[in-house]
Amino acid sequence: MKIVVPVKQVAVLDEEFELLEDRPGVDPDAIDWELNEWDDFSLEVALRLREAEGQGEVVVISVGGEESEEGLRACLAKGADRALRVWEDSLEGADPLAVARVLAAAVGRESPDLVLCGVQSSDAVNSATGVALAAHLDLPRVAVVTALDYDAGAGAATVERELEGGLIELLRVRLPALLTIQTGINEPRYANLRAIKQAKEKPLEAMAPSDLGVDEDALAAAAGSRVRSMVPPDPGGGAEMLNGSASAVAERIAEIVKERMSG
Amino acid sequence: MARDPKYDILFEPIQLGPKTLKNRFYQVPHCIGAGSEKPGFQAYHRGMKAEGGWGAVCTEYCSIHPESDDTHRVSARIWDDDDVRNLAVMCDRLHTFDALAGIELWYGGPHAPCMESRHNPRGPSQIPSDFEVNTHPRYMDKDDIALVQQMYVDASVRAREAGFDIVYVYGAHSYLPLQFLSPFYNKRTDEYGGSFENRARFWKECLEQVREAVGDDCAIASRFAVDTLYGPSSIEIGEDGVRFVEHVDDLVDLWDLTVGDIAEWGQNAGPSRFFEGNHEKPYTGQVKAGDHTNKPVVGVGRITNPDTMVAIIGSGQFDIIGAARPSISDPFLPKKIEEGRPDDIRECIGCNQCISRWEIGGPPMICTQNATAGEEYRRGWHPEKFHPAANRDKGVLVVGAGPAGMECAMVLGKRDMSAVHLVEAGEEIGGCVNWISQLGHSDGGENLARGTARGLGEWKRIVNYRQIQLDKLRNVEVHLRSRLSTQDVLEYGAEIVVVATGCHFATDGLNPATHAAIDGADASLDWQLTPDEVVKGSKQIGNRVLVLENEGYYMGVSIAQKLAGEGHDVTLVTQMGDVANYMEFTLEAPMLHRDLHRLGVKIHPYTMLERIEPGACHAYNVWNPAHKEQFEVETVVLCTQRMSDDELYHELRSDQDALEREGIEAVYMIGDAAAPRMIPDCIFDGHRLAREIDSSNPAMPLPFIRERRLWGEVTNEDYDAALLNTPDVVPMMAK
Repeated sequence: MKIVVPVKQVAVLDEEFELLEDRPGVDPDAIDWELNEWDDFSLEVALRLREAEGQGEVVVISVGGEESEEGLRACLAKGADRALRVWEDSLEGADPLAVARVLAAAVGRESPDLVLCGVQSSDAVNSATGVALAAHLDLPRVAVVTALDYDAGAGAATVERELEGGLIELLRVRLPALLTIQTGINEPRYANLRAIKQAKEKPLEAMAPSDLGVDEDALAAAAGSRVRSMVPPDPGGGAEMLNGSASAVAERIAEIVKERMSG
Repeated sequence: MARDPKYDILFEPIQLGPKTLKNRFYQVPHCIGAGSEKPGFQAYHRGMKAEGGWGAVCTEYCSIHPESDDTHRVSARIWDDDDVRNLAVMCDRLHTFDALAGIELWYGGPHAPCMESRHNPRGPSQIPSDFEVNTHPRYMDKDDIALVQQMYVDASVRAREAGFDIVYVYGAHSYLPLQFLSPFYNKRTDEYGGSFENRARFWKECLEQVREAVGDDCAIASRFAVDTLYGPSSIEIGEDGVRFVEHVDDLVDLWDLTVGDIAEWGQNAGPSRFFEGNHEKPYTGQVKAGDHTNKPVVGVGRITNPDTMVAIIGSGQFDIIGAARPSISDPFLPKKIEEGRPDDIRECIGCNQCISRWEIGGPPMICTQNATAGEEYRRGWHPEKFHPAANRDKGVLVVGAGPAGMECAMVLGKRDMSAVHLVEAGEEIGGCVNWISQLGHSDGGENLARGTARGLGEWKRIVNYRQIQLDKLRNVEVHLRSRLSTQDVLEYGAEIVVVATGCHFATDGLNPATHAAIDGADASLDWQLTPDEVVKGSKQIGNRVLVLENEGYYMGVSIAQKLAGEGHDVTLVTQMGDVANYMEFTLEAPMLHRDLHRLGVKIHPYTMLERIEPGACHAYNVWNPAHKEQFEVETVVLCTQRMSDDELYHELRSDQDALEREGIEAVYMIGDAAAPRMIPDCIFDGHRLAREIDSSNPAMPLPFIRERRLWGEVTNEDYDAALLNTPDVVPMMAK
């Protein structure tokens, strides 16, 4: 069983960052990077499936610059078999549809049984890449998966999805398919120091979109939007600073909540 | 990052007589165990605060004459020119960082037992100390009064010579000037007793004479307890409190205000389990609010939060934020506000471990939060600066994220180790602090004189600070819910393994009194509990509970407080003369006893259990074992002693071949896993190992500088040589 897990290296959001002055975007020098939280869970699903099968291959793929290699190495340390990074500078600022186009070329080459994406990335929060990738690959897809039971004999999986109001939707999907995985579906493992060291020896291939047959025209045709400007929001008004002891502040908060609830 | 403009007021200069205080951060006088006889300790501990941005830093109480000798406790002394020489080192160090140096001139009266000098202290009336044992002062006639006032003058001149900028006439905590002012001490009928003016005369004359002597060059400060909390028999804020401030306001350049006295000075240095921050406001806050002074006022109250500081100054409570404990916990508190990183402040938890060492008399001060406190000179440790370890390429696995493990991993991270993994079996980091911080509150409805039984919630700051720091360290990974077996550790791929697996309470009654288990003690039964089981709520607890308290610190009494507060009928049994002896040193004992008494907890000292059976505990008096007693209870809590969880360490060490095969070069054990101890000592242990992880034998602590007299001709280098082989010594110490 071959499983492809597309992953993304994202900006650490609790750090201060700065916008670029000459073009729309965030200054990459002011950013700390980490692997997208959702991707920890989708990788864990893949690793557990491979372990349950006792065979197979897990391939992680990222569309990103050199900073993405740290995240890919982390995936290799946890147990992914090999990694692929696709990039060229013209991809900077690419929208999810363009990224999905590049991924489609890379993933399609692998002919996987299963593609496991995260529901969304924590920095851009579009929830679009996985879905668009399924369209490009013409795969059945299920979004926001919270449980998965793979039936090897039938070549199908029973999956649960989260709906509003606590409802669970139960689906059966034939493979190959693409699932977007929700956080909390499992408890992701961590890599010990030995695995981290050994991951340095695992294959990590880097290539350009053109190596996959995706030229600039194809990218432009796939793109759905482009960022025209990024500006910090105007400071809001109406904030009320509460001063005083903890109990006085708590009392005032309770008053405000009661006022708003009754209004 | 620049500081938030809302904190600007904290950085505005203010005039203290002839001196300018550069900001509003002021380390009030507090003891550390250095005095004048450990000049390196004194200079570098105080100097660290100056480097960290405090605008003024003071000595501890500083004796002006051998007849005010506090031995066995350690004060500073300015008795002669050699003391001037040693204290000048501190002044020079502070001036390097543009801080003002303050000295608190002290004459203790009956509170000075003179155990070293064998002089006899003088006092306003012949009443023995309510703090010391059987110490009677000599009654002061007018010649004596003039003599002691001249001691203040001579000391102030020597203080100026040493380089001090602020000279105190210290009265607070009921020392000689306040003894004259307070009718609790002063029973005189001459012009130094009786009316307010007469009782204030001694202090006023001292201020006049010291001002005359050095007031052109030094700011004159006075530390004054505006309410000694004895009601009408002593100083009350609304009476002599504000009256005295007005009476001598022209003679001071700075008021340093407190409450309480020395016999229960936990009312001033309030422990967090009974007092919230800024707890002195109802008293000291009245002085400026009521317009009783035209002089700057500094006050204290475990104030660690910059927003609170701004509110205090903005509301006119104080002009200057005073701190003793918060400055020990974080010498760089002002700098962290100034640099726009208040989340890096290592907040005081109000455990009063620092104070305990002065109360014990002799040992250097320690701090739970700041393992480098007191180690600035003798070990060369800087709280904020770390050197990359020489063996930084090694991967380190720290097993267990309790106090020792958290601290060790954090310091290894700050020492730039290439990869540190902190792996914890539980749901969160913090170890025992996570349940201990839930102890100590009773029913919440009480009012114990001034404070309330708030519990140990502020102790959680031990975890909060380290969590924030660990999150920022990119070379440290924290993994939770992961219990590692010996095999897991062997295969982990770390070259260095640190075992910090903590400890557990004995379940069979093994204890320090009899060195044996107790017949019938068995915490696997559903009616016998260890203290952690009480907090975790895993067992039903009957109406009548016996708590066996053999430890002597907070655990047994905190369990008793909790259970009595929940309505149980609690009997507290200890082999010692009193429960929780160590809480006398942390100043928590008086409030604790008020709460235990209020809750109806029955305390049986000098009592030990010989047999436990369902429904009854059989006890005996330790001085007469034939004297038996029986307690009928449904539930027993065994707070007897703790046992290290050290199996992992010993299993790893027992198979040297496996260690070698797996590439593990060293296995260390720290904290309770090595030997159960107090939390500050666990944190110190973890810090110490990380500081010395690249020494020739990290398992053994390196020597530290001992400031004892060396016989014959010596230089400072003869003392400092102890640090020659220490890897992480800050350059300021290096020769």
